[in-house]
Amino acid sequence: MTAEETTSLKETEERISFLQIFWTYFKIGLMTLGGGFAMAAILRHELVLKRGWISDYEFMSEMSTATLIPGAVAVNMAYLQGRRLRGKRGALAASLGVILPSFVIILLIALFALPYFQNPHVRAFLKGCSLAIAGQIAYAGFIFGRRYLNNIQNIAICIAGLILLFVFKVHPVFAVLSAGVLGYFLCRQKEKRRDALPGEEGA
Amino acid sequence: MRLLLQLFKSFMIIGIGAYGGGLVTIPLIQHEVVGTRGWLLFDEMASLLAIAQMTPGPIAVNAATFVGFRIAGLAGAAVATFGVVLPALSILFFGASLIDRVKTNRHGAMFREGLQVGVLSLLFYATWAYGSVAVGSLSQFFMAAGAFFTLVLLEGKIHPILVVLACGLLGVFLF
Repeated sequence: MTAEETTSLKETEERISFLQIFWTYFKIGLMTLGGGFAMAAILRHELVLKRGWISDYEFMSEMSTATLIPGAVAVNMAYLQGRRLRGKRGALAASLGVILPSFVIILLIALFALPYFQNPHVRAFLKGCSLAIAGQIAYAGFIFGRRYLNNIQNIAICIAGLILLFVFKVHPVFAVLSAGVLGYFLCRQKEKRRDALPGEEGA
Repeated sequence: MRLLLQLFKSFMIIGIGAYGGGLVTIPLIQHEVVGTRGWLLFDEMASLLAIAQMTPGPIAVNAATFVGFRIAGLAGAAVATFGVVLPALSILFFGASLIDRVKTNRHGAMFREGLQVGVLSLLFYATWAYGSVAVGSLSQFFMAAGAFFTLVLLEGKIHPILVVLACGLLGVFLF
């Protein structure tokens, strides 16, 4: 039974080569602009719709795992999907594939375009872009805020995070992780109270 | 060599904190590269990040490559890129099956909810930390605010990168 399962798994695995995995993710890395969630739509198109390598359900499940882990969502997705297709080596092929195009493109820009950064027109252009990015960060805060600031617990965590950052000036990574721990304990507290409540009523 | 090690360490820290990737890496890079280490001036960093956002690929990876190159050349680019993806890849390498379990587990869900709110705090903080340095005049403030309201009002109808490009072109005429 188990032997049968492994052989059937191997057969499906054999259909997709490491080179195929690498090349697919290389193209995805080349095509996607704006990172993270913008990339998800293209990933889904390539893997679920066009190639049928994984199902929609698996895709969604891997998407949520990818966001649970720090770092670039696209790289995490590539790793998880590559792993599903061909194990750990498939995972590395996919991760390398998705990272390599941006690495090469950035190096080319860095080698040939950096001198032009001193040009006043280019500088004005980049200044405008950086102001838009300020607006974009605020926008991301707005989207997240609308989604998460809907209960007292989250508002409390958010304020605690802001105090850590503004007053105690802790490292941002520390503030994010502390919020995770705080959220965890507040949730447990709430669960305990909920569990204790019926007993008190009975007495 | 020492610089490369420092660079690796800094970008590994950035890789650990970048939940949700992309924009969240900006305050982390600002803190490490401009604040703690003083490797780049804010304007240099902001320019590199703007380019990083306009080129294909994950923003965190692009930014690491670019900032690493600017600080320590080709070796710097390689080291920073490797550093920024290493935390995620090692977590996945050693614990992917564990994470599959934690994800559906309520303890994981509780931790994650708090984490997302932590990212929210970070975004609020970054709006100030990044915005207060980037904005140097009233007209620049209006431009940043304009970008914000455009994104909010046209949510989902416009790709954010178009807003960035539009502000860049406006900048050429205004600044």
